[in-house]
Amino acid sequence: MESRRSLEAGLEGTIARLLTAGTYGSIALLLAGTALLLLEGRSPLDLGPAFDPAAIPGEILGLRSAGFLWLGILGLIATPSARVVAAVIGYSRLGDTRMVAVAVLILVVIVAGVVAGTAGG
Amino acid sequence: MEVGLLLLAGGVAAGVFGSLLGLGGGLLIVPLLTIGFGLPIRDAVGVSLVCVIVTSSASAGVFLERRQANLRLGMILELFTAFGAVVGGVVAFLLDERILAGLFAILILYVAVSMGRGIRPRATSRPPEDGSYEVKHLGPATIGAVGAGVTSALLGIGGGRVKVPLMHLLMGVPLRVATATSNLMIGITASASAVVYLLRGGIDANAAGPTAIGVFLGARLGSRLGHRVDVRVLRVLFVAVLLYTAFEMARRAIGAS
Repeated sequence: MESRRSLEAGLEGTIARLLTAGTYGSIALLLAGTALLLLEGRSPLDLGPAFDPAAIPGEILGLRSAGFLWLGILGLIATPSARVVAAVIGYSRLGDTRMVAVAVLILVVIVAGVVAGTAGG
Repeated sequence: MEVGLLLLAGGVAAGVFGSLLGLGGGLLIVPLLTIGFGLPIRDAVGVSLVCVIVTSSASAGVFLERRQANLRLGMILELFTAFGAVVGGVVAFLLDERILAGLFAILILYVAVSMGRGIRPRATSRPPEDGSYEVKHLGPATIGAVGAGVTSALLGIGGGRVKVPLMHLLMGVPLRVATATSNLMIGITASASAVVYLLRGGIDANAAGPTAIGVFLGARLGSRLGHRVDVRVLRVLFVAVLLYTAFEMARRAIGAS
């Protein structure tokens, strides 16, 4: 029982660090993107760039604001889902099939959101 | 440059107020972006969802480290809030912007009145030292959780005003744990609908950048200022701001602005 509690505390600690790292990393990208946007002489109220995942690597290598901003936004949106993936792994190790099922279903709902977004885009 | 700094400052203000008054940033960011900067309400909701994820992820990490949040309960409920958020995200693109403005006006008015009357749930129970408490009424709570998700997606808010009373009053979860768990859940709820907004072109990256940075800085600043500020005075000022905002949103809803 004690070992299970300590494993669970370890899982929560891992998730906490993942959330913190994801947030700080994404904010750093947004900071770089916003600084580049201002250096490009553009206003944040100008119509923003369209979301094109394939263009992000090129924009980052070219030090263009759009790539950093989109990667930061993607990082923020993905951080809570990454926490759920960590829970799937952690609860699998604990042998807690009910929580594994719950975590997998959350990921299925997120994928449903991607499908719903793509279908209407 | 000036607009960027103004957005950043607006985000800081929303983060500070939200942190001091226990609100998610969304309630402040959507009016700030629509009334203050002229963004369409749906774009403002998209940006707000990104900001809500920032505040949730940053604070949920701390709550988990302190073992204040109930991860298991949060994950079970967020399955339902995420479902509601995807549904709400799809519905948001079917509704006229004036309907969204009307719904937002009603929400702000409700928050202003409840804040003015001081009827927020009070800390009547303290979490037991060993963290043992019995979670009740999970079934009915899942229905409320779906509703919280839909509301979050439609209006760009975290939905803590629904989730915290749901857990505390209906499920018997101590207020401190309910608040921390709600914070944890907000990240998944907002990201489920943010995905829909992102893929349908409802997030403006240029506006989201400075606003999210501002909210992040403001929330950190607010948590440090908490014990130095007279929250009662702040609350009165804030109710006045909310009433004005509700009036402006209502004008948009009827097409007078």
